[in-house]
Amino acid sequence: MIVCVAVVGHQNNPLYIQSFTEADDALKLHHIVHCSLDVVDERVNNPKKSGPTLNETFLGLLYPTENYKVQYVFFSYGYLTNTKVKFILVTTDLDVRDADVRNFFRRFHAAYVDAVSNPFHVPGKKITSRTFAERVSTIVKSFGLSSAT
Amino acid sequence: MEPDVSIETSSMIRIAVLPIGSVPPSLLRDYHSMLLRHHTIPLSAISSFYTEHQKSPFAHQPWESGSLRFKFVLGGAPPSPWEDFQSNRKILAVIGICHCPSSPDLDSVIEQFNVACKGYNSALVKRCFAFSPSDSHLEEGGKKGENFILFPPADRQTQEFHLQTMMQDIAASLLMEFEKWVLQAESAGTILKTPLDSQASLSSEEVIKAKKRRLARAQKTIGDYCLLAGSPVDANAHYSTALELARLTADYFWYAGALEGSVCALLVDRMGQKDAVLEEEVKYRYNSVILHYRKSFIQDNAQRVSPLSFELEATLKLARFLCRRELAKDVVELLTSAADGAKSLIDASDRLILYVEIARLFGTLGYQRKAAFFSRQVAQLYLQQENRSAAICAMQVLAMTTKAYRVQSRASITKHSLSNEIGLGHSDGGKMHHQSVVSVFESQWSTLQMVVLREILLSAVRAGDPLAAWSAAARLLRSYYPLITPAGQNGLASALTNSSERLPSGTRCADPALPFVRLYSFPLHPSQMDIVKRTPGREDWWAGSAPSGPFIYTPFSKGEPNDTSKQELIWVVGEPVQVLVELANPCGFNLRVDSIYLSAHSGNFDAFPISVDLPPNSSKVITLSGIPTVAGLVTIPGCTVHCFGVITEHLFRDVDNLLLGAAQGLVLSDPFRCCGSAKLKNVSVPNISVVPPLPVLVSHVVGGDGAIILYEGEIRDVWLSLANAGTVPVEQAHISLSGKNQDSVISIAYETLKSALPLKPGAEVTIPVTLKAWRLGSVDPETAAGKNASGSTGRHLRDGSSPSLLIHYAGPVTNSGDQSDVPPGRRLVVPLQVCVLQGLSFVKGRLLSMEIPAHVGQNLPAPAPVKTNSHKGSIDYENKMDKLMKIDPFRGSWGLRFLELELSNPTDVVFEISVSVKLETSSTEDSQDAAEYGYPKTRIDRDYSARVLIPLEHFKLPILDGSFFIKDLQSDRSTTGRNSSFSEKNTKAELNASIKNLISRIKVRWQSGRNSSGELNIKDAIQAALQTSVMDVLLPDPLTFGFRLVRNYSEQATKVKSTVLAHEMTPMEVLVRNNTKEMIKMSLSITCRDVAGENCTEGTKATVLWSGALNEITMEVPPLQESKHCFSLYFLIPGEYTLVAAAVIDDANNILRARAKTDSPDEPIFCRGPPFHTESLRNFTRQVKIPFLS
Repeated sequence: MIVCVAVVGHQNNPLYIQSFTEADDALKLHHIVHCSLDVVDERVNNPKKSGPTLNETFLGLLYPTENYKVQYVFFSYGYLTNTKVKFILVTTDLDVRDADVRNFFRRFHAAYVDAVSNPFHVPGKKITSRTFAERVSTIVKSFGLSSAT
Repeated sequence: MEPDVSIETSSMIRIAVLPIGSVPPSLLRDYHSMLLRHHTIPLSAISSFYTEHQKSPFAHQPWESGSLRFKFVLGGAPPSPWEDFQSNRKILAVIGICHCPSSPDLDSVIEQFNVACKGYNSALVKRCFAFSPSDSHLEEGGKKGENFILFPPADRQTQEFHLQTMMQDIAASLLMEFEKWVLQAESAGTILKTPLDSQASLSSEEVIKAKKRRLARAQKTIGDYCLLAGSPVDANAHYSTALELARLTADYFWYAGALEGSVCALLVDRMGQKDAVLEEEVKYRYNSVILHYRKSFIQDNAQRVSPLSFELEATLKLARFLCRRELAKDVVELLTSAADGAKSLIDASDRLILYVEIARLFGTLGYQRKAAFFSRQVAQLYLQQENRSAAICAMQVLAMTTKAYRVQSRASITKHSLSNEIGLGHSDGGKMHHQSVVSVFESQWSTLQMVVLREILLSAVRAGDPLAAWSAAARLLRSYYPLITPAGQNGLASALTNSSERLPSGTRCADPALPFVRLYSFPLHPSQMDIVKRTPGREDWWAGSAPSGPFIYTPFSKGEPNDTSKQELIWVVGEPVQVLVELANPCGFNLRVDSIYLSAHSGNFDAFPISVDLPPNSSKVITLSGIPTVAGLVTIPGCTVHCFGVITEHLFRDVDNLLLGAAQGLVLSDPFRCCGSAKLKNVSVPNISVVPPLPVLVSHVVGGDGAIILYEGEIRDVWLSLANAGTVPVEQAHISLSGKNQDSVISIAYETLKSALPLKPGAEVTIPVTLKAWRLGSVDPETAAGKNASGSTGRHLRDGSSPSLLIHYAGPVTNSGDQSDVPPGRRLVVPLQVCVLQGLSFVKGRLLSMEIPAHVGQNLPAPAPVKTNSHKGSIDYENKMDKLMKIDPFRGSWGLRFLELELSNPTDVVFEISVSVKLETSSTEDSQDAAEYGYPKTRIDRDYSARVLIPLEHFKLPILDGSFFIKDLQSDRSTTGRNSSFSEKNTKAELNASIKNLISRIKVRWQSGRNSSGELNIKDAIQAALQTSVMDVLLPDPLTFGFRLVRNYSEQATKVKSTVLAHEMTPMEVLVRNNTKEMIKMSLSITCRDVAGENCTEGTKATVLWSGALNEITMEVPPLQESKHCFSLYFLIPGEYTLVAAAVIDDANNILRARAKTDSPDEPIFCRGPPFHTESLRNFTRQVKIPFLS
């Protein structure tokens, strides 16, 4: 289950953070997204290390983090666009298929591109588009459904 | 758990360092640091202190390369329950430190030391070091025993050498003790227990298994000692045995311990050399260690004791060993699992240590955010402890996280970089600093940042650090006010106030709170005190530096969009300056700024503080002033604000960055915008230089500074008083004009100013300026049409139409020899506030011509003066009459021409008009001597209009020359005579020039009241009037007629001129002159009329008889020639008669027709001469002169 998705700008500024849990744990999720940036940063700053995956946007598992309501572990996955915008996905599922995550990020990326293509959007500003939020929640809801069938 | 553990910790000998007696903390730290330098003693260095009593159990001691390692525990530590399990946890030696001057009684020192040592049963070596003993101490100190060592007072180097020797001695003693212990343990065996081993489990064990297990534990411990003794090979051998036995007895805990030891032995053996193989080996073995620690977990006593801390410690040890960028992934995994285990730890302090270590390792790895996250966890654990020291710790830990969360206090940024930034801020004003950009972006993690700041505030309050609390509250309030409710804002404000109450007054804090301060503007100097750069060595020294070029836009400034950054401002020592700043209080409480003033780091500026009250959600523009004190550069990076009891510096640059961020939507809110303040252009701080004192000229118009009210054309003197209000004399001064209507300033007494120089401070000079009011605007379209004739027309009333006097002045040039640093000059702008009222207005101008018939005399009347001399015995030129009129030589009449000007007076004052004509005497006399001829004044009452007649007879008009006119008329024909060389154009120009010349000599002056006088500018009007009617009035007719008496007795004629007697035949002749260039044929007729206008020669009642032809006389007159026709008249009745000649021209050409203004070719051209008067007198009467004018 996806608990949080985030878009982080190239200056590591949050552009969009949305949690999908009932509990009031926004702060915790903020922390997880914030901490995940360490790893993203490392990959951004050392591009030569990821030589074979030069054009790979998918960063994979970033950060298995502390328990969430005791029984869950957070896993954050990252995705880096060529404009150094990062997508972070926080999930509690232990066994997610890479393909699912990749697919999710691809759709998320498309939604983001559409949102920032809005001529009224100021680059670097937080994304406040309602359409984007609705689209993201649709993508989140459909996450993992293909694997279930 | 212990802090700062690593794999090598197992090989370190723990030594407690205890202060004995009272030791000042600074000295204790000093001694401790001296000890710390000896943390590793090479085995080779201690061989001299070492004596082998028995055969050493450490068979493979590396005497050449090995070493003993010490770990000093300042203040000691209570014995650990796990010290049997890991021997390095034992305190194996005690070093007491005594500072003799503060505890002189050595016996009591020794006693105290012995008491202190009692707590350390495991200690094998005990020494007490006494520093700085006195001579008496040294004397008695010798017999105090070998454990008590006095360090004679000496320099530090010597002392350190002593200490080194002592440490080597301790090392040797320890080594010998280890040998003893190992030998004893090998022979006798010891019972080794850990808290894990419960009594129950021990008793239920099988005896053999217990024995084996005991053996394994003994072997492991011996291995530990070998490791401590610096012999890894021996240690490894013992560990191997222990591993074997522990595996057999399933003593997993001890197995893991032995395995840990063996890894340490491996590393010690390798002497710190690392390679991939070794790393793999260590990783593999340690994973096994972790696994076995986990295996040893027993559910039974999990509530009481758990091997979990060892598992986590092992994890941390491995993580520390691997902690490198390249292996980040492994380390992160290890640390994550360690963090995961934290929740199962029973002891809160264990968890604290774990989090500290995790945070440190993440920090080493470069994962700042994760390090910050765990630091925050540490701080939270500290805060749970609810005591002051824990709160201090929490506060300090949180302070370390602020960098990662970008909420750090300005104080934590190093002074150096800060001052660098301030310096840079001015040189590249407009540019944004990269760092600030990042911070603007990062500030969007507001959720996290606010939490951190709130925790810092909480911990600082609890720790009793008011400054830190103030700083945190200030940062919280300043950065996140839009996210805080008004109640929360109030809470923060009271937190600020409460903190400041516990601070000494005048405390400074690096972090500004409220209000937001931005630069509003740097007012330039008032125009009265404008500073102008002086170009040395030039007469017009102000010229080169004038800011206004001919172009409003210069292409050179294009590259600098932020042109103001180049702006330079000059301030003068001792002259107060003002800077406008805008303050904003976006919060919901009333903000009282106790004082705010400009902060200048250059130290040559005295700023005046003011206090401001800012209501909630308001902004205010205030003026801050100050006085520069010393010449040089001044930098004003911001304002110093005393608010909430603390002094802070508010930099303009920060707010600029904030506003820029707000403009891009990157920061939460623009504090000024939300206070309703308008958007302001980014004002940058100009480069300000302070120059030494300059003179200051102050001007005022004598008699009041109000507007000078003038009527159009009025001329008046204005007295301008200039005073030097500065402290430096004015040595150079120059007056120039600027603005509109500059020609209204007729004269400036520049010499008066010149002669007053140098103008000493306090001195005053008065200079007269003569003004002439300009015209308000063109009144009628006719004059507007005449614009091309003269450029001075077409002025319209506009705002700011008054001219200004520019006075450039400067003080003395310092003779420093260097020409480049002349002090600048100044410019004083004195706007002449002239208010022009409408005065007399010109309605219209006409040229009038008047003819007075001439008398028929013996001769023709004398023509223009040019021809006066040509006729001898002609009529005497009467000077009296000459003033007003002029005889037309051919028309035979007195022509009088007037320029009539109609003027109206729409004002409410009375004007008096006086016309004067500048006489240019005729060309025969000295022409240069101009005289003026005045006419009587005309008075025009208000709301009336009047006509002023200006006689024009004194002008020598070349147009009177007949031939000139003919030529002018018939210019298309080839001309003969002297004028032939003139082209048509020249003729026209000559005509115009003569008119102009004429006009320029007419001056119409007016006077109103006692002190208002001026001149009417009606040149255009006159010109227009002349040009339209000049042809008609001045052009000669094609034919002119003249009558003359024909007398033969000349002796009488000289006396009796132009008198005719009645009843006498009077011979007369009529002269007809052809003024054209063509032969004219005509039929001439002469009529004579009496006073009543009746024809006297015809009809039944004819009163005049005649002889000769009077009608239908056919004549042919050659061009420019005269023809005569003689006749005689006989007057029957004395009286006045008028003779008129008329002619009908035959075969008239076009020119004549044009002159006669007829179009049809059939119409006869009729020419009529002017009437000639004659009077027939009675024979007996004397002739009486008839005056021409009545």
